Amino acid sequence: MQTAQVVMVTGTHAAALAVKSARVDVVPGYPITPQTGIMEALAGMIESGELDARFIPVEGEHSAMAAAVAASAAGARVFTATSANGLLYMHEVLHMASGGRLPVVMCNVNRGIFAPWTLWADHQDSFSQRDTGWIQYHCSSNQEVFNTILQAFRVAEQINIPVMVNFDGFSISHCLMPLTLPPQEDIDRFLPPYQPEWRLDPAHPSSFSNVTNAPEYAVFRRMLADDILDAIPLAKQAAREYKDITGMWDGDTIDTYRLDDAEVVVFAINSMAGELRLSIDILREQGIKAGLLRPRLVVPFPAEDIINALPRNAQVMVLDRNYNFGHPGGILASELKSVLFGRRNDVTVKNRVMGIGGVDLTRRFMAAEIRAMMDE
Amino acid sequence: MLEIRINGFGGQGSVTLSHLLAQAAVENGEYGQALPFFGVERRGAPVRAAVRISPTTIYAHSQCDLPDYVVVMSEKLIEAAVNEGIAESGTVIVNAPHPVAVANHPTWQVDADAIAREAGLISGDGPLINIPLFGAVCRVLNIPQSIVEQTILNKWPNGNAERNLAAAGRAYHTVTRITG
Repeated sequence: MQTAQVVMVTGTHAAALAVKSARVDVVPGYPITPQTGIMEALAGMIESGELDARFIPVEGEHSAMAAAVAASAAGARVFTATSANGLLYMHEVLHMASGGRLPVVMCNVNRGIFAPWTLWADHQDSFSQRDTGWIQYHCSSNQEVFNTILQAFRVAEQINIPVMVNFDGFSISHCLMPLTLPPQEDIDRFLPPYQPEWRLDPAHPSSFSNVTNAPEYAVFRRMLADDILDAIPLAKQAAREYKDITGMWDGDTIDTYRLDDAEVVVFAINSMAGELRLSIDILREQGIKAGLLRPRLVVPFPAEDIINALPRNAQVMVLDRNYNFGHPGGILASELKSVLFGRRNDVTVKNRVMGIGGVDLTRRFMAAEIRAMMDE
Repeated sequence: MLEIRINGFGGQGSVTLSHLLAQAAVENGEYGQALPFFGVERRGAPVRAAVRISPTTIYAHSQCDLPDYVVVMSEKLIEAAVNEGIAESGTVIVNAPHPVAVANHPTWQVDADAIAREAGLISGDGPLINIPLFGAVCRVLNIPQSIVEQTILNKWPNGNAERNLAAAGRAYHTVTRITG
């Protein structure tokens, strides 16, 4: 029996290793900082024969997603990656992937959006695609990026809905850390080969995503709206079975830290949620009963899991790395308030936006912000 | 958890130095993280990289704002590097041709330029100082020399490591604690 291996890699390389372990068939690719390392690594693996897949270089992200849609409709397991404005350029075709019920998996390496130009992390890019019908995960470490890509393929192929795996530019993408690689035989057991229920096949011509009349269109949209909610139980099942096979656990739809007796609950996603564990420790040393609730799944929003996890009478501090333009604060806070309304009247919610465009979020800064929010 | 920040100029190899330090930590049985800051800087502009070493999993993802150790790759950057932030009793490790003491901070000095030249580690831009600095920082952190050597051999496995091993070893033994 093979044993797990530990390698020192960046977040982008961890993503590429997961894609290789998933035995993808097709990788359409276009580079954009800070995602480029993923495409570079995959192109190299395919060129050397280490990964038996087809790499399709394209002239832009709209074409990258169009190639992903076409390859997925032909029955291939497909992966691509992008960031920021590249993701925005894909916007139209993202709807084609979800509406076409194609289980593409894509990494979005979070980066602030032009204008003005920035290279560094914030979450405006992925939140601006919230309503495209894609499932969205957010990861807080290199290992979680690796683990989540494998879980994403499984969930995507179970319900034929594409999945976006998000992680922060530079703070994760260019961060070198130890990565545990489970034996390939274990990964193959967790993620068997993709068996499409249907595929485009020149030998058996059929039409796909044709013009529909209103009643049929409404049925298709209703099915997508209903089925995406199934990602919640399926994500839990995937996380549990991944743990049974590999021993690794990052949480399921949510992850928590020192939450059980918490009076102050910090609610945040992605790399800042990793750093926040240290902020929680600082606050605990100061005598504040603080804890962390981190959604891994952001679309669909794991409402019941959050409602069940929040301690009684908690003060919830939502730290958003994005703006909800037209409302005060960020989008995560709006999402949370909408699920708590009428369900958890004992809980109060406060919100701050921080870390925009990669502004460094240290444990001490965030602990001080949380203390200040308590006095508001 | 130990936090280290490297302050240097673009082109001096601070990214590779940060990677080597994190790799050495893992080789030494600990948990290591290298988090270089990538900007839009050019060759010669000030750059920095964060390194963390811990016996347990590292969750931090910020730059090191108040590190326990500051590695200064050029004497010209000492003031700027210290002003950027350092722990109250934090240690400074400086590449300089002569002894340098930083007020209120334990200071170590190594002549990485001379060691790199002596070992033949020279590129078009000058001496490759990140390799001797790797040896020097490991000495200050009490990482065994055998770990330094193994880390270099892991990175350059095809018989290209000789000059790197010599330079890192020389720096390991010549880095000096300066009493201010």
